[in-house]
Amino acid sequence: MTETITILIKSSTGKKLEVSIATDATVEELKTKISEQSEDDLPVSSQRLIYSGRVLKDNETIEFYKIKDGHTVHLVKSVNKSAAAAPTPAASTTDTSNATPSTAAANAVPSNIATGTGSFNPLADLTGARYAGYAQLPSASMFGPDSGMTMPDPEEMERMLSNPMVQQSMNEMLSNPQMVDFLINQSPGMRALGPQARELLQSEQFRTANPFAAMFPGGLPQNPFALYGNPQANTGAAGANLGGANDAGLMQALMASLGGNGGNAPAQEDNRPPEERYESQLRQLNDMGFNDFERNVAALRRAGGSVQGAIENLLNGI
Amino acid sequence: MSLKRITKELNDLGRDPPSSCSAGPVGDDLFHWQASIMGPADSPYAGGVFFLSIHFPTDYPFKPPKVQFTTKIYHPNINSNGNICLDILKDQWSPALTISKVLLSICSLLTDANPDDPLVPEIAHIYKTNPELYQKNAKEWTKKYAI
Repeated sequence: MTETITILIKSSTGKKLEVSIATDATVEELKTKISEQSEDDLPVSSQRLIYSGRVLKDNETIEFYKIKDGHTVHLVKSVNKSAAAAPTPAASTTDTSNATPSTAAANAVPSNIATGTGSFNPLADLTGARYAGYAQLPSASMFGPDSGMTMPDPEEMERMLSNPMVQQSMNEMLSNPQMVDFLINQSPGMRALGPQARELLQSEQFRTANPFAAMFPGGLPQNPFALYGNPQANTGAAGANLGGANDAGLMQALMASLGGNGGNAPAQEDNRPPEERYESQLRQLNDMGFNDFERNVAALRRAGGSVQGAIENLLNGI
Repeated sequence: MSLKRITKELNDLGRDPPSSCSAGPVGDDLFHWQASIMGPADSPYAGGVFFLSIHFPTDYPFKPPKVQFTTKIYHPNINSNGNICLDILKDQWSPALTISKVLLSICSLLTDANPDDPLVPEIAHIYKTNPELYQKNAKEWTKKYAI
């Protein structure tokens, strides 16, 4: 069944070459023929043959790649590199080296524009340009048919709220006395409450009950600061929905004390750099063989810090 | 309809491919291709071979194919996920275009980047303000990932 076909070899320098070869010959044999017929110095090891978008491997046959009579194969000469030292191009797709140049480039950009705003104000850097990139946008399913925001379905809400990252950052925030002071000072209602406010904010119950659940009944859990623009309206909504929250009584007490604009104060966005913020998740992803730092961070961000969600994102090639 | 058109493009590509690009189906699925682009000689990508993946939508050629680099490349219009910022792959797509023409457009994008519509602002900034550094970085990446 073997037949001899003529293959047109086009080199990157523009030179053309016609080679006749049997279809059951190997690519290596083809390369030997090219090196014999070519006027240039073209050792077999320096040749890279490309057909149909892929690099031909030496030990496969012409038939295997379905090269047909009269078809063109591209030839690229690798420069100053022995075949053994040349990494296979396919390896670059997996990209095992943490993409150092790009990370370096990313780091060159000032990462915290709001640094040095003087007195402690954890909300200050939210106004920085950096916040734009850090916002976790709600998933597409949260947009209704009229492309307006709708209430996320309960399942998704559950998933977001049970996210350990959310709880963890909430805990960290509330265990920081400076932050608690700040929250209390921000709101006249809280100030009036005095030491009680501190107790409330730092109580185990308040933290574990996941206060976020009550904070964002309006369907904006991923972007709490949307509330900031219109505090009055949203606090009203929050109050109305409190019945559904886990510990309605406690929350109501808090909400009542917060009064006008306090309702959104605990909604602090996590502003730590991604390698710190997603440290444990990144380690898990690395252990599983996902080594591209930037992709991992992007996937984690999209999944709201959930490793499982991030893996799905990564596997779907987003 | 789309299958017929894709098959025709495949035959044309096999017979008379553009001088610096090549493409074909990955397996038996004609809607999923891989492609390779040889770095243009007059660019810092010279000597490199860059691989891309192509996904045809079921309503091809009325919708553009999805084309992504699978080889890392340092370019203002191509990001670290391989996404390409090219008008003909988005709003300027026309059913008269073919994969061959798309690949040639990507080739010319490699020679002449478009820093005014960047996908990677950092690289675009370097491209505009420090062309030598851009050339150096692009060459380094080519050497590291594409040779």
